[in-house]
Amino acid sequence: MSNTSHEVASGPYHSGGAAPSALSAHSVSKRFPGVLANDSVDFDIQPGEVHTLLGENGAGKSTLAAMLCGLYQPDSGYIARNGQRVVLSSPRAGLQHGIAMVHQHFRLVDRFTVAENVILGSRNLSFVLDRRSINERVSEVAESYGLPIDPTATVGDLSVGQRQRVEIVKALYQGAEILLLDEPTAVLVPAEVEKLFENVHAMTQAGKSIVFISHKLGEVVEISDRVTVLRGGKVTGHVSGRGATDTKDLARLMVGRDINLGTQRASHPTGHEVLQIRDVSLNVNGVNVLSNISFNVHEGEMVGIAGVAGNGQKELADTIAGLLSPTSGSISIGGATATDRGPIHARELGLAYVPEDRLGMGLVPSMSILDNLLLTRDRHIVVDRASVRPEATRLIEQFEIKANGPDHLARKLSGGNAQKVLLARELSGGRTATKLLVVCSPTRGLDVGAIETVRRLLDDARSAGQAILLISEDLDEIMSLADRILVLYRGSIAHETPGETAQIATVGAAMAGLTTGVNG
Amino acid sequence: MPAPFRIVFEQRAETPKYLSALVPLISVLAALVAGALFLTATGYSATDTYKNMLDDGFLTYRGITETLGLSTVLICTGIAAAFSFQMNLYNIGGEGQLYLGMIGGAWAGLALGPHLPSFVMIPLVLIIGSFAGAVWIFVPAFVRARLGTSEIVTTLLLTYVASSLLKHFINTPDSFFRAKNVAFPQGRNVADSAALSPIGDTRLYPTFFVVVALALFLYWLVKKTEFGYRIQVIADSPRAAHYAGVSANRTTMSVMLLSGALAGLGGATLIVGPFARLDQGITLLGYGYAGIVVAALARNNFAGIIVSGILFAGLRVGGEKLQISTDTPKHIGVMMQGAILLFALGGEAFRRYKIRAVRMKAVAQ
Repeated sequence: MSNTSHEVASGPYHSGGAAPSALSAHSVSKRFPGVLANDSVDFDIQPGEVHTLLGENGAGKSTLAAMLCGLYQPDSGYIARNGQRVVLSSPRAGLQHGIAMVHQHFRLVDRFTVAENVILGSRNLSFVLDRRSINERVSEVAESYGLPIDPTATVGDLSVGQRQRVEIVKALYQGAEILLLDEPTAVLVPAEVEKLFENVHAMTQAGKSIVFISHKLGEVVEISDRVTVLRGGKVTGHVSGRGATDTKDLARLMVGRDINLGTQRASHPTGHEVLQIRDVSLNVNGVNVLSNISFNVHEGEMVGIAGVAGNGQKELADTIAGLLSPTSGSISIGGATATDRGPIHARELGLAYVPEDRLGMGLVPSMSILDNLLLTRDRHIVVDRASVRPEATRLIEQFEIKANGPDHLARKLSGGNAQKVLLARELSGGRTATKLLVVCSPTRGLDVGAIETVRRLLDDARSAGQAILLISEDLDEIMSLADRILVLYRGSIAHETPGETAQIATVGAAMAGLTTGVNG
Repeated sequence: MPAPFRIVFEQRAETPKYLSALVPLISVLAALVAGALFLTATGYSATDTYKNMLDDGFLTYRGITETLGLSTVLICTGIAAAFSFQMNLYNIGGEGQLYLGMIGGAWAGLALGPHLPSFVMIPLVLIIGSFAGAVWIFVPAFVRARLGTSEIVTTLLLTYVASSLLKHFINTPDSFFRAKNVAFPQGRNVADSAALSPIGDTRLYPTFFVVVALALFLYWLVKKTEFGYRIQVIADSPRAAHYAGVSANRTTMSVMLLSGALAGLGGATLIVGPFARLDQGITLLGYGYAGIVVAALARNNFAGIIVSGILFAGLRVGGEKLQISTDTPKHIGVMMQGAILLFALGGEAFRRYKIRAVRMKAVAQ
């Protein structure tokens, strides 16, 4: 297998005379049933370097990372540590070679303290734990990399960003020299991302190597020394980072074509009010999740709800969709009251709802695409699948869903295709034509290509006159799509601004609870 | 080099269709091998024992009709168990609901039988028996749907209550169900109009065909109807059900009540069929519990339950005969059932994983 198609590489790959790479993979291949996940992939990282693995879902970056840390073994090719060929038969073996992975889904025990989580899995512990000295050592390790954390705090009480820090401290405590961070920014808010980047810098200064696994172009360019782009299990480019490469070029290497994620706003003047929310409050178990929310969404308008996760976004969406009953206030869709009438009534008024949780709430994983289309529609006593089948086939084609046909199971779809199925069902109308579309984090975890498609679909729906409420933690997305932006902070609307003139700093500050008021 | 191979479990992307049929088959074979080892170790001839069991359970006219007769009730309790299991509801009290089905059916046969013709009575006994089974599961179903109380505990414990109730009806001197003028406490025979005649000189009753048709009907119900659709949605993702406005409470109630009714129907088939009276011997037979095993072996597939029900009935019939014709203990049949279940559950791993021996790579450190 030749590597001739590679683009700019910062230095010769199997560097002959120079110091050996901290960690390298040499023509590694890995096959899973039905896919060649890695096809003779080369990779290397130097001490103190940040090297990003960039690629869409299914491009093979997670597989490569799993082989680098010992979770999988390559079918062919080999891994070398400091130039020495090694066999990493398990993550523990990886750890013994100083390689640790921080998974996207944290592997922490919520009921344990930070220190207890950090020492979990350590082999050289005394039978009776000396908590004080353990706490001190954990603090020491944490602070030496600028990752201050209270070792006595219970993990269950920590924010997502802090939990991630615990995972990193754990890896460092176990002696990791090379850290693989799997989509580390996926769960973080902008301020936390910045903090993480500072930590990454502190760690590389101390000679640690960081393998960053990501599909977000912007941050990749910002943080990496080098980038290895994967597509379809093959390396499509080794390029330099730190702004030396244009994001457009990266996107092309990643997707194989040009990508447009530019700004899109309503092209027509907006029409009548479709959704009216008046003084809606929601109290769950004595906690005010929503307080006195009022706003409208008009025909042909997209209103974006920005905010850090857990400020009432999910509850707001569920309340509009009739899944939760507001404690007070009223909701109307298309002029008819929808307050406390249940999800079927809301849908009869023209609501469509794309929940954040695609598989498990929006779609039934063990069911086919066809059956999932029936989920929010009228079903006869004997389910008439034959009459829906042509429509299913048409939607699969129209929404460019990669599937073997209407009988393809939802759980076997990729994230992007699952989202397309969900959008196809919700946009195509069920009981009545869709008037109001509530979408939550529609592009979370999706490939660049799929993000482009989903954004286009939402824009098309807006142009067709549907009222859209876009609830997302992805501020960039809201900034580039919404006609009006509302910031939700602790269950109240903390800020409102037109999308055209919105300032990211002002909106970001409102998300963090630093300002209140309208048109700030 | 020592241990040049290691065993690797690889998850399958897709389970091939043939494996779904092959795994249960191999499980049965593996159980036979395990049983053979046990028989040989305890001094019996495995081949003779198996030959006798096969002949007496399946291959002779007498044997196969006995087997099909017994399978009637096992298919009933099997579909009862599977109907709840497929929605992740675990009604393991089919045994108790079966007793209630017998009590309800016997009551109908005794109280109404003398006044009604056979073509009314037979369906009536079956319906009242099913109803009694549903009544018995009503409280567990209600508290499960409303409060989330574990149906496993409630249905199991109610089986003991049902067993006492059955014994009470037979042993109480003036009981309506007790045979008069017989010193030994036993049930009174139902009216002739409430008892079916077996087919020819066998102990196979027409209820067998009713039950097979019912199993096939349930198969259709789950695959093709809105009710079956709802069951699948709730079983897989309760939150998707909530999202789509599908009421989990109502469906939980319906499924549990139907499950109880099916077990009750099993009891009622014993009234119109071989028993024709309340008989406390039923508490020693464990037909209700056997239904759980029958359902598990068929992986809750209603059509598959017909096959696994007949298989288990054959093992029991063959095992019983062993005791009579040879000195081999009849418990070998029960042991074989346990072994089959064990291997079938273990065999699940083969459906989901590919197991391979991998040559260890040379390690150059």
